[in-house]
Amino acid sequence: MTDTTERSLRDPREVIREEMTMHAVIKAALADGPLTVPELASAIGRPAEEVLYWVMGMRRYGHVVEMPEADDEGYFPYALPKGA
Amino acid sequence: MDYDVLVIGSGIGGMESAIKLGDMGHKVLLVEKEASVGGRMILLSKVFPTLDCASCISGPKMSSTINHPNITTKTYSEVTGIKRRPDGRFTASVKEKSTFVDWAACTGCSDCQTACTVAVPDEFNADLAARRAAYIAFPQAVPKKAVLDREGTSPCIGACPAGIKAHGYVSLVRSGKDEEAFQLVLDATPLVGTLGRACYAPCESECTRTKLEGPVPIRLIKRFAADQHYAAHGETPSGPAVEVAAPNGKRVAVVGSGPAGLTAAWQLARQGYQVTIFEKRSQPGGFLRHAIPSYRLPHEVVDADIANLTSIGVEIECDAKIDDLAALKDSGYDAVVVATGTQHATPMNVPNEDAAGSVNGLDFLADVANDNAPDLTGKRVVVVGGGNVAMDAARVSLRLGAADVKVVYRRTRAEMPAHHVEADDAEAEGARFEFLVTPLEVLATDGHVTGVRLQKMRLGEPDASGRRSPEPIQGSETSVACDLVISTIGMSPDATLYENVVTVGRGKRITVDPHTLQTEVPYLFAAGDVATGATDITRAIGAGRRAAHMVDRWVTGRPLTGFTALDDRLDTIGHDTVLSRQTAFGHRNPIKGAVDLQKLPRDFHEIESPLTETEARSGAGSCLDCGVCSECQECVHACPADAIRMDKRDVENEFDVGAVVVSTGYKLFAADNKPEYGWGRYANVITGMQMDRLLAPTRPFNTVLRPGDGKVPERIAYISCTGSRDAQVGNPLCSKVCCMYSIKQNQLIMGALPLADVTMHYMDMRAAGKRYDEFYEQAKDMGAQYIRGRVSRITEKENGDLVLRYEDTEGTGEIVEAEYDLVVLAVGIQPNRDVERLFTDEPLGLDEYFYVAEPSEDLDPGVTDVPGVFVAGTASGAKDIVDTIVHAGAAVAQVAAHLEKAQQTTKAEVLA
Repeated sequence: MTDTTERSLRDPREVIREEMTMHAVIKAALADGPLTVPELASAIGRPAEEVLYWVMGMRRYGHVVEMPEADDEGYFPYALPKGA
Repeated sequence: MDYDVLVIGSGIGGMESAIKLGDMGHKVLLVEKEASVGGRMILLSKVFPTLDCASCISGPKMSSTINHPNITTKTYSEVTGIKRRPDGRFTASVKEKSTFVDWAACTGCSDCQTACTVAVPDEFNADLAARRAAYIAFPQAVPKKAVLDREGTSPCIGACPAGIKAHGYVSLVRSGKDEEAFQLVLDATPLVGTLGRACYAPCESECTRTKLEGPVPIRLIKRFAADQHYAAHGETPSGPAVEVAAPNGKRVAVVGSGPAGLTAAWQLARQGYQVTIFEKRSQPGGFLRHAIPSYRLPHEVVDADIANLTSIGVEIECDAKIDDLAALKDSGYDAVVVATGTQHATPMNVPNEDAAGSVNGLDFLADVANDNAPDLTGKRVVVVGGGNVAMDAARVSLRLGAADVKVVYRRTRAEMPAHHVEADDAEAEGARFEFLVTPLEVLATDGHVTGVRLQKMRLGEPDASGRRSPEPIQGSETSVACDLVISTIGMSPDATLYENVVTVGRGKRITVDPHTLQTEVPYLFAAGDVATGATDITRAIGAGRRAAHMVDRWVTGRPLTGFTALDDRLDTIGHDTVLSRQTAFGHRNPIKGAVDLQKLPRDFHEIESPLTETEARSGAGSCLDCGVCSECQECVHACPADAIRMDKRDVENEFDVGAVVVSTGYKLFAADNKPEYGWGRYANVITGMQMDRLLAPTRPFNTVLRPGDGKVPERIAYISCTGSRDAQVGNPLCSKVCCMYSIKQNQLIMGALPLADVTMHYMDMRAAGKRYDEFYEQAKDMGAQYIRGRVSRITEKENGDLVLRYEDTEGTGEIVEAEYDLVVLAVGIQPNRDVERLFTDEPLGLDEYFYVAEPSEDLDPGVTDVPGVFVAGTASGAKDIVDTIVHAGAAVAQVAAHLEKAQQTTKAEVLA
């Protein structure tokens, strides 16, 4: 298979630990409107699987909210909560 | 207290056992290691084959367990040992781990976890998302109470003699809470900006990150927080750390305004004392202002720190030399704190020491600090000594224009007491060093210094300090021509203040109780270098805090105890423990401060640059959260019930129990032991438990998403028998539940994601049980695909999709590849070998697979090989929920029979 990859994932504990540092970065990226995880990953230059950890951590504690519908490719956009 | 039965573990088997035994009238002690009862079942989405909500079934049982009048439940507790006694009963040791939360006050509001600044993997969500160090186990937790995850004191905090919560302010800056970080340090001492510059940072020396690529820049992060605060607030402090208790009518005098005195005054003033500091010099600050050169610690930073004190009413009387401590006390003070430091320079005791051009380092530095600096343009300077004062004197001399500065020291560089950074920087700025020489005479002509005659030395045997003693080399002398000799060979307290009042100790130090800092005169306390000899700022601050605490205790008539800031810290967690939490660490370039070291510097501008905001966040982001909880105090401030109790500690008790039910459940197979499936390497390969969490109402994501990029998966594959029926991984047993939980998830996915295709790759489909096969057929009717054949390998595509390679055993027999968005590994069940540590004397028998053995499994289910010990549920082998409940019922019957028999035996013995 020519299109396979063997890139390695970072230890989840390490990625999750960085969530607090990433709050401001992600909030800044969302300031202009909702973004999906791949869009956020592209905007801040970090791997999508790491961005997902951070977004879900932020979602859990009320820093971001998901939009009601996924886009055509199956990705939910995430936004800053109203008033944030 | 006595109990009829100890039940270990509160999964469905443990709860069922406890409730049934309680219903029979037996007194039950239930011990659960997590903060909530419920075990794994409460974390599942639904149960098969009924698709009843797992929470809806578990919830009432959890509530019944906790509220049952005959059940005492100890959550967040561990059985640390069980001994069987000759009378057939058991002594069980149970450790109630500290939650650091007063559960009687906690309302489960979640404010603590929202405020928490430490993110860790959430084990209750199978590590798919983060929880906080302050957490409630899960939304349906019973009891729904918060826990602080504290594994110990972080090494940085443990290393700080001032008791400053370094991990706390690092985690706050990491979270963008710079003002909170400042306030956290301010809670300990007013000298936040000073410490950010002049502290030698023992915290960094102990930082676990040092074991990787370099320490977290802890000191500079503190400076960043201080600089941000002073830039925003000027010298008008505000915030929680400057809240002051109502005046208590008591007055305390502090003699000396160095770090110990300032800190003692700060702490006492905040407790409502009227505090006056008496300083003999014309400006406060002690060595901070009069010894540490301004290129290291600008005077305006000291001024800003001191303004924290004066803003809350501390009075500082300068040019106020105190000569009579008793008279000071009698002038209206309830207590006196002596914090006069080490102001007396040790003389060299060599000829011509009093010649013009021969000075001691303390006076030299003080003159420079007070705008009375000599002009050393073109002069040659010899500095005698190897401590930090020597380095400061050398570097100040260069800034005053000296053409040549030589530091002469009687040992070698390795033995120099100066901080290595100070010595390196002095050398970088042009100071030269000559080692293994000691002064014999100051050479002088017409009363003016012309040089120093030196004795050459060599190192002999180690002395009491562990350093090798210098010994003269007879007949070996040398001399250095110079215009100024600065002696910095030592310093000691000036005992004239107290020598007529209290005992003077070694080195003219005031004698105090090292724990209480009280002298033999009860009203008189002493803190800092005056009691210990020359140390450093952090030790002085720690002593100042301690003195303030003890003064308050003494003035209010309480025992001189309870200084928890330094005396009651949790054990410091080891570096190895911290590093063992991760399989690998990504490299981070260490953030270091930029120091402007020029050859022959000629001005006093601050040489170290502050961290930029990006550097501060990045540096703080490299913290490994060693103790887990950072002690940032955000939960303390956020808790509306005032329920956080950082001083709570573990409690261990022994209980007398008549029987034991082991219901410790199972472990899940670690999927990374099947590397061909890529779990842990491919983000979109997850386990069955992870999928159950994604399907549960309390799921970690907003719906079923693949972890690699948040996409709603459309093609989902299951691989059965991952880690079960597999001798290669050491588990030949069928786990009994994997087929059925996979089918359950297949159905739930098709309900949640109507467009998704679900395919299960299986070896054998085992759906034996009432309505199980029908459940399987129902899934097929819903559209799930079932392909027989073991998957040999998974590879990942660039877009995160996964390619499964398997043999088409029911078709052509060819090797087939199929592509999916998400792969779920139906991981098997394995024994929980923690059970092996339960019994300290008589080991509990295990079977050949390391499950708890039931010697007569067919006739006496639940009975182990230890009389009075029974097993319920999956601790004895793989079972589904229904079988677990049935097995628990069997164990309960065995327990009841055992207790009845024991009671009858006791009665018979009494009658006999």
